[in-house]
Amino acid sequence: MENSNNVEKLHTDLMTVNMGPQHPATHGVLRVEIKTDSEIVAEATPYLGYLHRCMEKHCEHLDYRGIIPFVDRMDYLASMNMEMGYSLAVEKMLGTEVPERAEYIRVLVSELQRVASHLMFFGTYAIDLGAFTPFLYAFQDREEILRLFEELSGARLLYNYIWIGGVWNDINDEQLRRIAKFCDKMEESLKKYHDLVGMNAIFIDRTKNVGVISEEMAYQYGATGPVLRGSGIDWDLRKKMPYGIYDKFDFDTVVGKGEMGTVGDCWDRYQVRVLEIFESLKIIRQVLDGIEEGPIIGKVPKIIKVPEGEIYVRTECPRGELGYHLTSDGGKNPYRLKVKSSCFTHTSMLGELGKGQMIADFVATIGSIDIVLGEVDR
Amino acid sequence: MSSSTEVNTNLYDDELTIGKWFKNIWTAIRSVTKGLGITFKYVYGVKPVTIEYPEVREELPANSRSRLFNDAENCISCYQCATACPVDCIYITAVRRDKEAPALKTKGGTPIKLDLLQYTIDTALCCYCGLCTTVCPTECLTHTTDYEFAQYTVDEMKYDYLADDVRAWRDRIVK
Repeated sequence: MENSNNVEKLHTDLMTVNMGPQHPATHGVLRVEIKTDSEIVAEATPYLGYLHRCMEKHCEHLDYRGIIPFVDRMDYLASMNMEMGYSLAVEKMLGTEVPERAEYIRVLVSELQRVASHLMFFGTYAIDLGAFTPFLYAFQDREEILRLFEELSGARLLYNYIWIGGVWNDINDEQLRRIAKFCDKMEESLKKYHDLVGMNAIFIDRTKNVGVISEEMAYQYGATGPVLRGSGIDWDLRKKMPYGIYDKFDFDTVVGKGEMGTVGDCWDRYQVRVLEIFESLKIIRQVLDGIEEGPIIGKVPKIIKVPEGEIYVRTECPRGELGYHLTSDGGKNPYRLKVKSSCFTHTSMLGELGKGQMIADFVATIGSIDIVLGEVDR
Repeated sequence: MSSSTEVNTNLYDDELTIGKWFKNIWTAIRSVTKGLGITFKYVYGVKPVTIEYPEVREELPANSRSRLFNDAENCISCYQCATACPVDCIYITAVRRDKEAPALKTKGGTPIKLDLLQYTIDTALCCYCGLCTTVCPTECLTHTTDYEFAQYTVDEMKYDYLADDVRAWRDRIVK
């Protein structure tokens, strides 16, 4: 196009900017190399490996019980769910039967962990978009869950609570009553928080039609969990392929409907996570009704030797699907433990999502897929 | 803008009419008052949730996994903790006890057949998983609820449980 003052003809280069590894918006040590054209992202390439701890290799030299503290450290915001998947894998290979009470406690703690993890998302996402208060509200409620976990297992973050064959400590009636009380309180305050953040005009403007993951794109990249459901696909492992005793419970799968804009935008993913907390609370209430007295750990040999073979177990974690591929040669240590992480898959979407976005929208997009770098790098 | 990028500009595509202009203002006012209404509820009548740390110290739950303590007198040097440790941070040396030496027993009545020469835990390596305490047969190795043990150097994090100063903790540990 001809322009009188020739501004259009001026040669402009793309500028390369590193976002991270130490950047408050990248949720850990993710480095995204962005080629910027003024405020617009022309190209975004995520670089990984800043939190790589050789976890899979370490596991080849550890006994089966000693691996549990290591899988804790993958997704440190959802340690219970990490342990659950690993324990299920080893139990299936061993053929161990888990007592009924232990199964109930497992579901209870992993749903509580899901609530805690989604609360963390809620708080940090609001911070990413410039609101500080919701973060404090979310942490106040998350703290109650962590306190309960500390009483149960002894640690606040890295529990080592779900063991092969059951759980470590028993839960008492006083704690169960406290959880029931927490559920009521949480439900009430979450509606308030959703009004405060999700229905806020600024928040909606920042997130609607931003970072749209279409149904097709979600399938092609292999997205799982809330990211997949946010794109309008009804897929929840707890419902479709129940593990543990999830088939006993009645709950709904939350899918994004594009209420504020397009299906699969940031707002949809935010909404899926918030509404999932309500579903988790529903499950927790059913657990509290159904839990009965009994043993909490099944018969497991003192030195665990898993028979030769391999298995792939997948579970639904707060951030998506977590798969353990366990190969055993019959010894005391696993031959190989491969972890399929959902966060890794979601990080790979960043390149395509970022193209053509404003930088501020790119921050909103990174926040909305909710990655934990510990799980990406392992 | 260069031709290499495309921007989603549909945000600004809609034409701004006077009706929309007033509607936008109305949305903003409604949204802000709703949010601030929730915030103002927290102005009065809400208990503080944080703890003013150095003045007020929180007491951890009884089975919190904090600093490790080994009651060396009850230790039978069975090496089970060192085997269970996933990060190999427990160092034990023990020799067979002389037959002529007076027989020793733990609190629980288990005879001590090995003389413990070294029992060191490198707490800087420790991951506080608690696996060592669960395998201990005489329950001499425990996690205490003591959480204030920062040191100036990494070497100071190596606890020799046979040394007198470390043994002195026995009086102040809880569990």
